[in-house]
Amino acid sequence: MTEHSEEGTFFKSRKFTDWPTVKEALIAKEIGGVFILAPMAMQLVADGIPIKVVYLGHRDGTAIVVGKDSEIHDFSDLAGKVVAIPSRYANQNVLMHRMMRQWGMAPDSIELRELPPPEHPIALQSGSIDAYIVGEPFAAKAEVDGYGRVLYQTKDIWKDFISCVLVVRDDLIEDDRELIQELVSGIAKSGMWLDEDPAHRMDAAEIAAKNYYFQSPELLKHVLSKPVDRVKYTRLTPLREDFNEIMTLAHEIGVLSREVDFEEYADDSFALAASKEPWALERLPRGEAAEAEQ
Amino acid sequence: MKRKVFLGAIVWTLLITVVHISLNIGWTELSKQVEVMRGERREELIVGFLPVT
Repeated sequence: MTEHSEEGTFFKSRKFTDWPTVKEALIAKEIGGVFILAPMAMQLVADGIPIKVVYLGHRDGTAIVVGKDSEIHDFSDLAGKVVAIPSRYANQNVLMHRMMRQWGMAPDSIELRELPPPEHPIALQSGSIDAYIVGEPFAAKAEVDGYGRVLYQTKDIWKDFISCVLVVRDDLIEDDRELIQELVSGIAKSGMWLDEDPAHRMDAAEIAAKNYYFQSPELLKHVLSKPVDRVKYTRLTPLREDFNEIMTLAHEIGVLSREVDFEEYADDSFALAASKEPWALERLPRGEAAEAEQ
Repeated sequence: MKRKVFLGAIVWTLLITVVHISLNIGWTELSKQVEVMRGERREELIVGFLPVT
């Protein structure tokens, strides 16, 4: 891990805790981009915020979790139960509605309750909810701690599920395409490295646990390896058909205030260019060598 | 008279520029940009994240 890219640019991260602050930071140009929920990005564009989705954060990496000894064994058992979702603007909310349709259930047959992701496992353990759907590592937390059971991984119910997307400001796309390309190519390269070898995932878990997530490395290792396709970091180009499905469903369930065309909120040119670049994965150090670079 | 108009235009332009930088750009940001252009500083991009997935 280094402080800057190979080209020399500093890419710094900033954590946000609420949506209005993200909106303000984008408008004030305090940040160049942000990783946010896919339907949230669409709604920001619908609200007139000049941004574009340029890349996906990951695919899959979400699970529906129930109590370990719960009598919930398939989706229909969730009828009449309380299920926590991360946000109404989360694709996890859209997924729950998609599943209810597939199982022939009424849209209000499950009580969906918005809860901050870190609170999902605790709420399940205390019995205040019957299940939760959330991105990792919070889905695995209850499983690893012994009181939760995964009912479904998204990979088994919505193939290549999209949760988080990278959006950047339109003015940066117009004025500094090279910078955005550098960002997207760097993330793409990291994803290639992660998916190339399970051992790389273990290294990443150690680094991320220590520097970003402040979670135990064992939890992140579990997320990145059990099974290894629980969360994927390749095929992250924004695809029209994927987004059209999310947009249509989100609009139908009232999450989006209006329908938004793919061209309005997405620019896949950086991802497509990144996919054509040659990779020098062997240049990325492993284990102790990676630690030494910090 | 011409000289007065010319000087007045220069002062007005300078004033507007200073106000624009103060209100819309910020002196710190401007100095950073100049340093990047002169190769004295690395370019910087802040990417936010909202941990709600």
